[in-house]
Amino acid sequence: MAQRCQDKTVVKVLSFWKECSDRSGPELPHKAGRRLIHFKKMDDIDAMFSDLLGEMDLLTQSLGQETVPPAPLPSADKEVSYSIGYTDLNESLNELEDCDLDALMADLVADLSATEVKFAAQKEELKVQSLPPPDLPPPPKGLSTHPASSLASPASPASSASSNVSTPASSTASPLPPPPPQVSKPSKEEMEAHIKADKIKLALEKLKEAKVKKLVVKVLMNDGSSKTLMVDERQTVREVLDNLFEKTHCDCNVDWSLVETNPDLQLERTFEDHENLVEPLSAWTRDSENKVLFQERGEKYEVFKNPQNFYLWKKDKNTLKDMKDKDKELLIQENFCGTSIIVPDLEGVIHLKEDGKKSWKPRLFQLRASGIYYVPKGKTKSSRDLICFVQFDNVNVYYGKDFKGKYKAPTDFCFFLKHPQIQKESQYIKYLCCDDAWSMNLWVTGIRIAKYGASLYENYKTAEKAAVSSVWTNRSSSTPSSSNPSTPSPTIKAKSPSQANGHAPKPQQGPVSVDFGNVPPPPPPPPLSVFPHPTPPLAAKSSPKPAAPQRHLPTNFPPPPPAMDLLPPPPPPPNEDDALEAPPDFLPPPPPAVGFGSLPPPPSFNSPPLPPPPVSFGGVDQSLPPPPPDPGFLPPPPPQPMFTGARAPPPPPPPPAAVPAAAMRPSGSVKKMPPAPPKRTTPSLQGGGGRRWRLHVRTDAGHEQETCSLSVKFVEYKNSMNCACTLTNLTLNWPCLDFRKKLLLFTFTTKLNISNQPVEIRHLFQMAIQPSFF
Amino acid sequence: MAAWDLSVTVEDLGSDAPPVTISVDSGLHVGGVILKLVEKTQIKRDWSDHALWWEQKQRWLLRTAWTLDKYGIHADARLVFMPQHKPLRLGLPNGITLRLRACFSSSVFQTVMGICRMLNIRHPEELSLLQPVEEKKKKKDKNSAEEIYDLTEVPLSSASRPCLYNGMPAHFADSPEMEAIYKMLSVTQPPPSPEVIAKQYRAASVVDKAHIHGRWLDSSRCLLQQGIQENSRLWLRFKYFAFYDMEPKYDVVRLTQLYEQARWAILLEDIDCTEEEMMLFGALQYHISKVSQSEPQMLSSSAAMDDLETALQSLEVKMEGESSSASEMLENMTAPELNDYLKIFRPKRMTLKGYKQYWFKFQDTSISYFKSKEESIGEPIQQINLKGCEVAPDVNVTAQKFLIRLLIPAPEGMNEVYLRCENVRKKHAHTHAHWMAGCRLASKGKSLADSSFQSEIQSIRSFLAMQKTSPGTHGNAPANDESLNTHSLVSPRYAKKYKAKQLTPRILDAYQNVAQLSLTDAVMRFLQIWQALPDFGLSYVVVRFKGSRKDEVLGIGPNRLIRIDLAVGDVVKTWRYNNMKQWNVNWDIRQVAIEFEGNINIAFACVTADCKIVHEFIGGYIFMSTRSRAKSDTLNEELFHKLTGGHDAL
Repeated sequence: MAQRCQDKTVVKVLSFWKECSDRSGPELPHKAGRRLIHFKKMDDIDAMFSDLLGEMDLLTQSLGQETVPPAPLPSADKEVSYSIGYTDLNESLNELEDCDLDALMADLVADLSATEVKFAAQKEELKVQSLPPPDLPPPPKGLSTHPASSLASPASPASSASSNVSTPASSTASPLPPPPPQVSKPSKEEMEAHIKADKIKLALEKLKEAKVKKLVVKVLMNDGSSKTLMVDERQTVREVLDNLFEKTHCDCNVDWSLVETNPDLQLERTFEDHENLVEPLSAWTRDSENKVLFQERGEKYEVFKNPQNFYLWKKDKNTLKDMKDKDKELLIQENFCGTSIIVPDLEGVIHLKEDGKKSWKPRLFQLRASGIYYVPKGKTKSSRDLICFVQFDNVNVYYGKDFKGKYKAPTDFCFFLKHPQIQKESQYIKYLCCDDAWSMNLWVTGIRIAKYGASLYENYKTAEKAAVSSVWTNRSSSTPSSSNPSTPSPTIKAKSPSQANGHAPKPQQGPVSVDFGNVPPPPPPPPLSVFPHPTPPLAAKSSPKPAAPQRHLPTNFPPPPPAMDLLPPPPPPPNEDDALEAPPDFLPPPPPAVGFGSLPPPPSFNSPPLPPPPVSFGGVDQSLPPPPPDPGFLPPPPPQPMFTGARAPPPPPPPPAAVPAAAMRPSGSVKKMPPAPPKRTTPSLQGGGGRRWRLHVRTDAGHEQETCSLSVKFVEYKNSMNCACTLTNLTLNWPCLDFRKKLLLFTFTTKLNISNQPVEIRHLFQMAIQPSFF
Repeated sequence: MAAWDLSVTVEDLGSDAPPVTISVDSGLHVGGVILKLVEKTQIKRDWSDHALWWEQKQRWLLRTAWTLDKYGIHADARLVFMPQHKPLRLGLPNGITLRLRACFSSSVFQTVMGICRMLNIRHPEELSLLQPVEEKKKKKDKNSAEEIYDLTEVPLSSASRPCLYNGMPAHFADSPEMEAIYKMLSVTQPPPSPEVIAKQYRAASVVDKAHIHGRWLDSSRCLLQQGIQENSRLWLRFKYFAFYDMEPKYDVVRLTQLYEQARWAILLEDIDCTEEEMMLFGALQYHISKVSQSEPQMLSSSAAMDDLETALQSLEVKMEGESSSASEMLENMTAPELNDYLKIFRPKRMTLKGYKQYWFKFQDTSISYFKSKEESIGEPIQQINLKGCEVAPDVNVTAQKFLIRLLIPAPEGMNEVYLRCENVRKKHAHTHAHWMAGCRLASKGKSLADSSFQSEIQSIRSFLAMQKTSPGTHGNAPANDESLNTHSLVSPRYAKKYKAKQLTPRILDAYQNVAQLSLTDAVMRFLQIWQALPDFGLSYVVVRFKGSRKDEVLGIGPNRLIRIDLAVGDVVKTWRYNNMKQWNVNWDIRQVAIEFEGNINIAFACVTADCKIVHEFIGGYIFMSTRSRAKSDTLNEELFHKLTGGHDAL
C-alpha cells in the first residue's frame, strides 16, 4: 500500500505520462496483429527471443561478478505460450502515439495556464538567464530514432530485498520541485516555455512519426545464427550496420555488409550504406524466401582499397599488385574527388542472355557514366555508334548465383540488372555473364560507381571511420574489465556514422538519466546536459574531424566521477578488444559495489547497471561549462541520477519491493496473458542511481484496475545529449516476455528536445518478474 | 664615345611617316633613347606604355637601364617605338568577339592573366590563346557585320584583383554598354540556330583535332614574337582541363565561359558522346537557356547575396511553418488530387483491346480508376502505385495525341500501361501536363503536394510548346525563346538523324531529370557530365614514335598520356603522369623523350604541333596538379614557367 501511495505522488507529478500510458495501455494486448509478421524473417518470435536471450546471456555472464546472481532462471518454462501480445507493431505504436498526442495536448493546455502566471512574474529574470546554455552541442540531426539495441541486465531475484534502497534516494531528493539552485529558477520558466513549444513540435513530430514504417528484420549471421532488429523507415543501412556491430563481436571493418538474397532469382546484392533498408525490403513479396545476411564482403569497398584494379584494369596485373599507396590515393583523388566522378572505362565482351531465350550471346559492352552500351555489329567503338543497353536510374545491379545451372550460362560469373521491385523471373531482367570473377567484379563495381557516384566514397569514408574508432574503443574498453560486456551500445544514428560502438553507450547513459530527471517539473539543469565539447585527448586522437561529434560523448563519460576511483579510466588505456566490450565499461560501472557503498542509497538490486555513484550537484555544475580538464570533473553519469532524484518528488518508491509485489499479485490472473503491457512508466524519483523506474503494469484484462509497480533497471539508452534536453515524452513501444529468464522486456521511446530539435530515443528495459507471475 | 645615328620608327606617327633619327652613342641606355625620341617627336602624350621593339631580333627592349651596347644594337638595327598594349580581337568560348587591349610585350601567359583579370576570370593559368582556324572566306559572309564588343577603353590596371562593384569589376559598371558586355560574359548565350552550328568548322577526325591543338600560342613568348599583329583575331580558350576550385559565387564568368566551351565542344562533336548523353546535354542546354532568360540576374554575385537573403527568409518561413499548430498542419496534409476521365490501355500479349475510358483519381503517389465518376467513392477497379515507375510521354501535338506511358514495377516484372489524356473538355494538353507531372513526381516518391508540381507542369507545357512550332521552323528566323528549335540543342549529326518531333520527346524525357535544377546546378551538371565523358580533356597531337614508321596520335589528358593507333582508332597505351620520372625535349631534333617508372622510355617527334606545345601541355598539367588549397592563392608563375618554358626558361 505504501508503495502505492508513493506511486500516486509520482504520478501526480508526471501526470502527463500517466495519462498517456493509461490510455494506451489497455489497448495493447488486444491488438493481435498479423502484420507483425511482415516477412518470413519476422514470423518466428521464437528466434527473436532467442536472439535477445542470447544477448542477455552474454550480459548476464559479464555482469555476473558484479551483480547479484543475475536471475538465473531455468528456461524450463519455455513452452509457455508467448504468442500473446505481439500485435502488429505499427498498429500498436501508432495507437500509443495517438494517445500520447491527446495527452500531450491536454497537458499542454494545463501547463500553459499554470506557467503563464509564473512567467509574467519572472519575466525579467528570465531574460537574463533564460537562454539555453550555449554550450550545448547541437543534437545530431538525424537522430530521430534510436533503435534500442542494448539489453538490460537481468534483475536478480534477490532484488526484492533491495526495494528499500529506494528510500535513500528519496532522501537525497528534495521535494518535488527542487530546481537546481541558481540556474533553475530563471531557467525554469524558460524551460517550461520551451517545453511547451517542444510539445507542440512533438505533437507534430508524432503526426509524422505515426506514418513511419518500421520493420522487424531478421539478419542472418555468418555462423548461421541470427539477430533480429527493428528497423525504421528512415534508417540507413549504415545505421543498421552500426547497430549490428554493437550486437556482435565483430571487428567492425569496412567489409561488413548487409546482403540481400533472393532464392527465386538466385541473386545477391550488398546494400549500399546510404540506402534505406526498409525500402528494398518492402519490395519483397509476402511469401518470399529472401534473406538479409550480415557478412564481410570484400568487394564492397575494394575499389577504394585497390583503385588501380578498377581504374587501371588494363595494366599488367603484377604492376597493379605493387601499386604504391601514394598512387592509390592519387587515383582515388582523381576519380572521386574532382568535380565529376569518373567511372572506370570498362570495355569487354560479356555474354548477354537474350530476352526470353535460353541462349547467351557475346557482345562488346562499354561502361560509361551514363549507362552500359554495346557496340552494334559492324560498327566502330566510337561513342556515337554505341547503343544504349541500360541506364542506371531505375535498376540495381545484382550478383547471380549458380546461373550456369539455372540458366545454362557460360560461366558462373554472372550479374544482372533489374528494377529493385522485380522479385521473380521476368523479361525485364537483364542477365549478363562474364568470363571470370575478376571481370564480373570489375563490372559490378563499375556500375555501382556510375549509379551511386560520390555517395559510394562517402560511405566508404564513413565506414572506415567507424572501423577505426571501433578499434580504438576496443582497446580502451578492454582494460577495465573484460567481464562486463553487458550492453551493446546503442548507436547514435544520426550523423555519426563513425561512432565507435563502444563509445556510444557510455555517453548515453549519463545524459539519459538526466533527461528523465528533468522531465516533469524542474527545468533540466543545464549543466548536466552539457558534455564538454572539447574532446578528450583520446577521442581526438582516434577520430578524424568528422567523427568528432560522436566522440564527444564517449569522451565525456570516461572520466569517472571523482568519487569513484574504482571506475576504469576509460580512454587512456589503449587495449585491443572487441568493440562490444566498450559499452560494458560504462553500463555496469565496473565497481558497482563500490559505487553503492559510497552512495547513500544505492538500490542494491538494480544496481548492477546503475550508474556510478552520484556526484554532488554542485560538482555537476562545475563540470558543465567547458571541457573539464580533468576527467574527474566531468560530470560522471552517476551524478545525474542524483540530480533527478533531487528534483523528483520525494517519494522514492522502493522499487524492489514493488517488483515482487507487483509480480505476485497479478500472477494468478496473469498467467494467461503473460505479457502485460506496462501501463505507464514514471521515472522513479529516487536518486539512487537514477536509473530506477517505476512501472505500472496492467497485468491482465481481468484486473484492469490492478496496477503494480515494478522497479526496472534502466539498462541503456541511446542518447548523446545532455542537459539542455527536455524530456517531453515517454512512450511504451512494445513489451515482450522472456519466459526463460523471467524477464519482461520492453522498449520505450523517449522524445527529447535538444536545442529545440525533437529527438527520439529508444530504450530497452527489462524487468525481472517473479516466478509466481507465471 | 662616338655618336651615331639610330633610326626608329614611331608607330604613332603613322605607317607612312619616315623613321625618326636620333643621335646616340653605344653607352646610352634604352631609357635615354626613348627620352630623346619623345623629345624629337614633339608630341605630348602619355608615352608610358610605349617601348622599343627590335624587329630583326624579334625582341622588345624592355630593360631601360641596359645600354645599346649591352643589347648589341648598332646603327643597322630597325627599331620600332610602339605601345605595348594593343587592341586584339578576342574570340570568347561563347562565340562572341571582344575587342580589347592586350599586352604584346610580355609572355602570353601574362597576357592571358591580364585579359582574365579584365574579364574577371579566375585561374587564368587554365586558359590560353589559340590561333583561330582560318574561316573559309566566303565573301558574301559579311563578317564585319558581326557585333563586336569593345573593351579597348578599359584602363589598364595592374591590380592583381580588380575591385568589384555590384558583383562585377568596376570598369564594367561605368556605363550601360559596359554592363551589357559583362552580361554577355556572364550569362549563357541562347542556343545557336542549327544553321550557325552547321556552318561552324567541325573537326572530322582526330587528326583534324590535332591540327587545332597545334595552334596554341607559346606561353613563354610574347604575342609580337609569335607574329600576332595589332587587331589580330585570337581565341581565348580553356586549355588545361583541370579546373581548380570552381566556385559559382566568384566564378560567374569563368563558369559561363567554360560551359560555353563545353557546349560547343558537344555541339561540334569535338568530343564524342552517345545518343543518350546528347539528349541529356540537349535537355540541360534547354533548361539553362530557359532559366538564364527568366532570371538573368541569378549569376551576378550581388544576386548571390539576394539569394542568401531569400534563402534565409524561406528558412524562416519554414521554421514558422514547423511550429504552426497541428490543425494547420493537418490541413496542409490533406493532399491535392487529380480527377479526370482518361483512357487506359494495358498491352498484353495477344490482345488487341483498345483504350477504355475510366474515371481516374490521382492521389498521393498512386492512381486508381473507377467505372465512372459516380462510383469513385467505392473500391477502385484497380490502384496503381507509381513509386519507382518509369514515365515517358508519347505526344504528338498536331495529331492531338497525348499519351503517358508507364512502366510500373511489380515483383513479376514491369507492367506497361498507357494513359490517354483525352476527354470531353478537349483540354488534352492541359490534362496531359498535369497527369504527366503527377506521374513524374510519384515515380520519385513525391506526392502532388510537392512544391515542384507546378513547375513540373510548366516545364512540360513549355517544352511541348516547342513541338508545336518546331516542325515548321526548320529554316526559320532566329529562335525566340518560345519557338526554340530542338535542333539547336544537338549536334548536326543528330539534327540530321531525327526530325524535330522525334527529338522533342527524347529530350523531354531526359529533361524530366533536370528540370528542377537551378541555373548554377544545371551548368555544373552539364560540366560534370561533360567531364565524365571518356574522352574528356584530351588534346591530340600527331606524333611519330621513335622507331615507328607511321604517324600515331598522342592524347594529352589531365592525368595521363595516351597513344592512339590511327589505323584502328584504339587507345594502345596509357601512361600516367604520376609514374613519370622525367621528360626531356631535344630542341635540336625536336624530339620529346619521357621516362616512366619501371624503365619505360618513350620518345617521339611531333608532327602537327611544335614540340614546345607538347612540352607545355605536359609541364602545364603537372603544374596544375601542384595547385592545392593549402598553398596560397597566388599563382606561382615562376614554377609554371620552369615547367613549360623549355630552353627559354634556362
